[in-house]
Amino acid sequence: MEGNYNFSARAARIGTFTLIAGLIANFVPALYLAGVVGVMPQFTDLLQIYAVAFSAFGVSWVVQPLSFYPMLGVGGSYIGWLCGNVADIRVPAATMAQRVAGAEPGSPEGDVMSTIGIAASVFVSVAIITLFTLIGSAIMPLVPKFVTKAFGFILPAVFGAVYAELSRKHFKIGALTIVAGLAITFAAPKVGLPGSLLSICVIAGGIAMARIIYLSDKK
Amino acid sequence: MDLKSVMNSPGMWVASSIMVIVVLVQSALFLREGFKAADKLGMPRSTSVKGMRAAMITAIGPSLGPVVILLALLAVLGGPTTWMRMNDIGAARTELAMSALATKVVGVDMRSAAFDLKAFSYALWGMALNNAGWMLVALLFVKRMNSAISKMNQKYDPAWVKLIMTGAAIGLFASLWSPALIKGGGQFFAGIVAFVSMFLIGKYAGNYPRLQEPALGISMLIGMFAAAYFF
Repeated sequence: MEGNYNFSARAARIGTFTLIAGLIANFVPALYLAGVVGVMPQFTDLLQIYAVAFSAFGVSWVVQPLSFYPMLGVGGSYIGWLCGNVADIRVPAATMAQRVAGAEPGSPEGDVMSTIGIAASVFVSVAIITLFTLIGSAIMPLVPKFVTKAFGFILPAVFGAVYAELSRKHFKIGALTIVAGLAITFAAPKVGLPGSLLSICVIAGGIAMARIIYLSDKK
Repeated sequence: MDLKSVMNSPGMWVASSIMVIVVLVQSALFLREGFKAADKLGMPRSTSVKGMRAAMITAIGPSLGPVVILLALLAVLGGPTTWMRMNDIGAARTELAMSALATKVVGVDMRSAAFDLKAFSYALWGMALNNAGWMLVALLFVKRMNSAISKMNQKYDPAWVKLIMTGAAIGLFASLWSPALIKGGGQFFAGIVAFVSMFLIGKYAGNYPRLQEPALGISMLIGMFAAAYFF
């Protein structure tokens, strides 16, 4: 990049500042209830809630931000872990922004486009969530049953479409990895592999396939 | 004070809106910085705008996905809390599960009449403590991941580092997609149809740039509705 402009450094500064603000905002309603209304769990119960949260989601807290980093980049990570819906909204938005702009993932252009795409996707999702919070109960009875049924299939459809986009330029890695992924996911409950480690194993499988293709193409 | 009057009170709306404001301000700042960086990289403004538009079109479908759970949360936790928690980290199902787990600590079933103001406060703390987990980890690790990858690029062949990232990304989505494929039926069919649609659009619609921007959204809709029709 020209001059001493460093996008990653600037993104990290914006991200750190806004994520700290988010961390505070995250507790405001609970504190409002405690301070103004005067209702709050006992301290020992708070510890217990934390223990429950940690045992249910603690592994996800750590594994998800690390495993999604290659797809989100610096800017996208700061947005994604404040706004959520990373796998189903942010990553698809980032991949499409990169694809349409012709920016290679992992390049400086790719990082910039993923940040632009993810930031723009937030405005769309906030608008839709706000609309449905306000008038959803009035709209939903009017939606045809067929449409609500279709929305039950939204996640596999998003994952399938994203998978096609990811493996478009790496067809061999994509084909080998989904076979490995299916085998590991299928075998996991039988060998007692916990769900939290499952994704790590499949990611390692993807990296191993990339290595195999890299070495065989080099020859 | 009873639960119903508190959970939808103006005070709760104000308290919950702060997170939504932070979310919007953050994305506005990143959007501005992103366009500035695109200029510095010499990318034409029209290209970045096209990319942004494609991202926004892509986001519409998946944003409608959690609407059914949104309505469930709305009935139990009220407007302000649902609105805030659906706009921040924590998938709709996670927020619902965490609220149920937290209220269980005080011995109350979230869907029963016993769910009172006290139990509501347990749900609020539960979601706040849980969501803080992701934010803290991101705060601690994102910058470190960035410098770790720069170091890897200096130490190893950058082409190989890039391939590791690609392999990791493909592996991640293989792990997200595999359970639905194994489940079979409509879950299998929706994903396969969306995959094939996306693949075909990528391969044959290269000459129609207009089809590229909504490609993922279209593929997703084809997959969803095909599954709803056949299953």
